[in-house]
Parts: sequence; C-alpha cells; structure tokens
Amino acid sequence: MSENVVGTQFVGKKSRVFWLALKTGMLTVLTLGFYRFWMKTRLRRWYWSAIRPGGYPLEYVGDPFEKLLGFLIAVVVLAFYIGIVNLLLMFLSYSFFQDNFVAYTASFVGVVPLWFYAQFRSRRYVLARTRWMGLRFGLEPGAWGYAGRALLYWGLTLVSLGILAPLMVFRLEKYITDRTYFGTERMHQGGRWTMLYRPMRPLIISVLMLIVAAVLFVAEQIGPGTGLSVLGMGGLLYGYFAFKVNGLAVLTRHKHLAGCSLEMRPSAGAVLGIYALGYVLATFVIAIPGTALFILLLVVQSPDTAAELSLGTGGWVADQSRWVLVAVSAMLYFSIFLLWSALTHTFVTMPTIKHYARTLTLIEPASLLSITQRPRDAAEQAEGFAEALDVGASI
Amino acid sequence: MSTLFRTDIAPEPYEEAAEYLDGHSATPHPVTLRIDELSAKLEIIGEDIRVRWLLTDIREIPDQAGNDMMVLRERGNTLRRVILRNRSLAPRLPYRTRSAPVTNRLRLTGWAFGAVASVALIIFVLVPTMANQLANFIPPEGERALAEATLDQIRSALDETGLQGVRTCTSVDGTAALKKIETRLTSVMPDAPELTVFVLDHGMVNAFTLPGGYLVFFRGLLDNAGSAEQVAAVFAHEMGHVISRDPTRHALRSAGSIGVLGLLFGDFAGGAMVLFLTERLIDAQYSQETESHADTFAQDLLIRAGIAPSALADMFARFRALGPEPTEMEKHFLSHPDLGDRIASARAATPAEFLTEPVLTDREWQALQGICD
Repeated sequence: MSENVVGTQFVGKKSRVFWLALKTGMLTVLTLGFYRFWMKTRLRRWYWSAIRPGGYPLEYVGDPFEKLLGFLIAVVVLAFYIGIVNLLLMFLSYSFFQDNFVAYTASFVGVVPLWFYAQFRSRRYVLARTRWMGLRFGLEPGAWGYAGRALLYWGLTLVSLGILAPLMVFRLEKYITDRTYFGTERMHQGGRWTMLYRPMRPLIISVLMLIVAAVLFVAEQIGPGTGLSVLGMGGLLYGYFAFKVNGLAVLTRHKHLAGCSLEMRPSAGAVLGIYALGYVLATFVIAIPGTALFILLLVVQSPDTAAELSLGTGGWVADQSRWVLVAVSAMLYFSIFLLWSALTHTFVTMPTIKHYARTLTLIEPASLLSITQRPRDAAEQAEGFAEALDVGASI
Repeated sequence: MSTLFRTDIAPEPYEEAAEYLDGHSATPHPVTLRIDELSAKLEIIGEDIRVRWLLTDIREIPDQAGNDMMVLRERGNTLRRVILRNRSLAPRLPYRTRSAPVTNRLRLTGWAFGAVASVALIIFVLVPTMANQLANFIPPEGERALAEATLDQIRSALDETGLQGVRTCTSVDGTAALKKIETRLTSVMPDAPELTVFVLDHGMVNAFTLPGGYLVFFRGLLDNAGSAEQVAAVFAHEMGHVISRDPTRHALRSAGSIGVLGLLFGDFAGGAMVLFLTERLIDAQYSQETESHADTFAQDLLIRAGIAPSALADMFARFRALGPEPTEMEKHFLSHPDLGDRIASARAATPAEFLTEPVLTDREWQALQGICD
C-alpha cells in the first residue's frame, strides 16, 4: 500500500461459486424460498472476499436474519398497498374504462417511486455491511430524494428519446457517490455529465444506421437497407454494452476518496463476450432437463400426439403411478431453475465481476491509511423493499 | 538425585507473521502470531499491539473465495480482524467454523407474527369484504368487459392447436333448444338477469359463469348429460352464481390477493408453482361456500319451474361416474364440495311424488346435443 499505484486481485474459482450457488439454491427450494436470505448472504460473502484491492479482501458482514426482518417489514407495508390498491384500481378501471389496462398501468406507475426508493435503501444496506481494511463503508440517508431525482431524470430521458440518458446516469450516480463514505471520509464524484456521450457513441451511431436503413426501405432499396439494418442491430447490442461498461469506467475514473483516486479500464467487448458465451452455455445445459420435462409432460398429457411424434406412449412412463410422475416432473422443473441460477453465477456474474475487479487500480492509496472508523448503521429495513419488489440482480 | 528428563514433548512453538486490523483505522499492523499453550490463547504481538484471543473464541470468516489466507475474528468482537496469509493456524482452532450468535430474535419473532397476521387479514378478510361490496357497484358494461377478457383467455388456454381458440357452437336448432331451457327458468323468476349463453366446442364435462351474466357450457357436458332436465339443472345452478355475482367478486378478489401472495413467496426458483397452488387453496375455501349457495338456489328455482331438483343429483352422479372420487389431498385443491353431499342434498330437496314437466321434446334434445355439429 506504500506504492503510488496498487491493483486489485480477484481470487476464487468457478467450481466453488457453482457449488455454492447450487447448494444454497437447493436449500432455497426446499424451504419454500426462505433460505434465499442465507443464499444471498453467503454468495455476497464469497464474491466480496474474492475482490482484493491492494491485496486486502473486501468483507461482507450482512446477516440473513436482518434481511428476513427487513423483508417482513416490507411485506406488512406492501401487502396492504398491493392487496387493497390493486383491488380498487381493478374496480375503477372496469367501471369507468371497461378494461383492465388502466388498472395495470396505474398499479405499475404507483410502484415506480417505491422501486427507486428500494434501490437506494438496498445500496445503503449493502454499503453499511461492506468493510475493507477493517473499516465500514456507508451511505447517508436520502432514499426519497433519490426516488424524486430518479423520476425527474428518467422522465427527461424518456421525453428526449434517450438523448439525455447521460444526464440521468451521471446525476443519479453523483447523488449516490457524494453520499458514500469509507470510514469517516466522504467520496466525491467529479466530472461532467457530458463526458458520458463518448461511451454512448456506438449506441448513437447504431441508431442513426437504423434510421438510414428505414429510409432506404421506404425508398425501396431493400438490399442496402437489409445490410444496414443487420449492421445497426449488431451495433445496438454492442452499443448497449459499450455505454454500460465504458460509462461505468468513466464515472469510476472521476471518483475520489481523500487523496486517492480510482482508475478502471474494463473492455466492453470482453463483457459482451462473457454475457454471450455465458448465456449460450447456460441455455444449452438447461435444455437437457427442459427437453426431458417437455417429453414427459407430452406423454402424460396427450399420449396420441406423443405416439405421432414417435416418442412412444408406453414404456417407463406408462408403468409409473401418477405421484411418481408428478415428483419426477417437479424435480426436472426445479432443476431447470437451479441450474440456470448456478450457471449464470458461474459463467456470467463471476467472470464479469472478475473482469471489472482486475482492471481497477487505486492511485495514491497511502492517504486512505489514516481514515478512521464510522459508526454502525442499523439499516433496519435492510433491503426488504428491494427483496419484495424484486429490484436489481441476484447479488 | 537423578537427572530429570522431560518425557512429554512440547508441540512445535507456533510463530507466524500476519496482519492485524484494529477496526479503528485503515492501517494494517504487521504482527507476529504466537500460541501460549498454557492459557490456550493466541498472542497477537506488534508495535504497540499486545492482544490475546482464546483459541476457542476464534472464528474464521465463512464462505471465503481464496484458499490462500485466513481472515479471523474473535467471538463477541465484530470489528477486529487478523489476516494470515496461509492456513497454518486452522488445526489449532477447535471452533473455527462455529457461527456467531444471532441477535434481536425477539424483534424478529414480533415482526414475523405481525407480517403473517396482516397478510392473513388482508387476504381472508379485507380483500373478500371489499370485493363483495364493490361487486354490487360495478356497472353492467364493466362486468361485460371483465367477462370478455376472461372468456378470451379461457378459449385460447383450452385450445390444443394453439391457433385461434376453442370455437363456440351455434347450430340454429341447438341454440333454440338452449333458449327454451333459459326461458323456462327465467319465466319463473321475478326479475331475471340478462344472460348470454355460450357452448364451447371442448370435451370437458363442465360449465361456468363469468361476470355480467355470461354462462358457458362445454360440449362435453351436453354429450354426457342423460336428459334435458339435467342440463336445465346445471343451468339453474349456474344462474345461482349469476344472481349472487360470484364471478365478479371472484375476479376482483384475485386481483387483490394474487399480488400479495406473489410478494410473499418472491421470485425463488419455481415460485410460480407454489403461488399457483396456494391461490387454488384459498380460492377453494371461498368457492365451497358459494357452490353450496348456488345448489340451494338451483333446487328452489327448479321446483318453481316444474323440474325435480333430483335432476341435479342425477347430473352429479354422472360426474362422479366419469372420474374417480378425488382423494382427501385433491379435495383441498378443488373448488367444489364433496359430490356425495351435493347429490344427497339435491335428492332431499325433491318433494315426494313430484312430477317433472319435460323441458324439451326428444327432437329438441337431439338438436341441443348436436349444437356443435
């Protein structure tokens, strides 16, 4: 830590995270979902410990019981909202509009601010339970302020057809970063929102290509139009990753903590490759139990169709009692979900985090050594609302 | 005096370099770890640092990704850490993998009970009560829209080809026969509701009602009915649902309760299946009661229309003959009460020597059974 620049190591093997995700996933199914608080805690502990900025691992100290408690608090509040409000909306929607569309829309719109609120609370909880070099991270309260700003900037982004997306991304990131602490020291997000247009360039070019392609189609130039639209679609996919990955990198490079600044150089192509390969692989593997389940259901449900497809009507399936068939189907059904979750952890989440971590460096980290501890944030709701509203990814 | 030889060989003295994080500053302190065998304590010694942890109190932070180091803490202290860049201390720590005790169990139990109670209150009391009240206020055109949305869903769900949904049957003579049954029943009601009656071309032996007076028969029910009176009996039963606006209440109720259940079970693998089964279970609790009400209504209406309520019993007996009696387990998931009880009830409701005036002529009955041809 005495050098001017220190890198970040990532330790941890694919096989370990696969078994951890599979084992905890199985326990989650067996407990009707209640083990998921433990599953999340254990996976986070694993991922955090794998990341070692300057050679010192991060530590996740979250407790599954506080997650369960936070979830129960959220359930009490949300059950009322969802039960009563949805019922009233459905009634009003059918009474006045003869349709349920209005009810679904109103119900969805009503949850949006809560969704942003939940996102901030969840970030606050995770930071409050993350430590490095023995010191806590922290996030100042401000969830409703975040929800208000998120609504405003998302509105601007939608109205401007995405042109103001950099403003939204930057302002929301700054709101969070400027309230983030490591020990007693506040983090600072520097830079300007316009710096995010550079990472957005491939996305803009792809959209322009698609517009030109549309014009070509209208002018009945089918050949060039098709070529350009295929190119534009590919560009759109790459452009999305470029904006996400390079945008994150630019924002990270403008973050400061005490005298230390951060540097991150991830590659959008590499992240896109990880996603493509990971999801193809996961899809391929779950196709095995998926096909088995499909054939089993077909033979049970409509033996005639199965016979036509020469899958056979008798054999093993005909000899089994209904309960055996139900049990086998349920096992296949759950194994699809479990394998999917374990495989995406192993081949998408972990390699992505690994890629980001390895490109992260700390410049002038010596100034961090004098930072001291901050008090504990009880964060009583934990991430209950995020859990109940299903905000964000699996970890 | 003889020379004293110590026969018990002391263990190799343990000494390793490590780092100590005091939990107050971000500075890692270089320390030397030693074990004091007498007191069974780990000594952590560095510049200005002399800390002693009981070996039995030391825990390793669990679920670590790297096998190249150990991160250790003392039970009861949440902040201080020792980072050892090898695993040499592992054999000396008897309770290395034990967990730290859980705090605030009492609060947790309180919230757990509160959550379960409030969810139960919402699903079993608040939502049904509100649905029952609101169902009386929903205007007819709203009810019809609700019904059409549901009917479209049912038609496409039942279609095995997956192309255009199950077709409705509309042969002229069959429709006229069905209308005759309807008129026979509605003519004896003081203010009969407006009805829309459909026959769906599907083999299922069943009939159901939708909000706004929609009444739907499956071809399978007509095929398997023994007489026109049996069809009229089912018709009367379904009209019981229409009168009490059961389908409207049911649609409103599921709008409220499905969301709450989804919230509770979350999105874990296959949560949808658990959600479905739970919804069926709750649904069945409501429905057993409404089915009994509809049966009572039908018995009364049939007598007034000059049809013996035992026709309902005959139809149920046919249902029972068609499928095996559900097991105790299955009954919980079925919305209809025990068929045996309903057959007995319908037979008991029939006055002695009651004479049924035929509902349809033989020709009309054949036309009704051939409505889908």
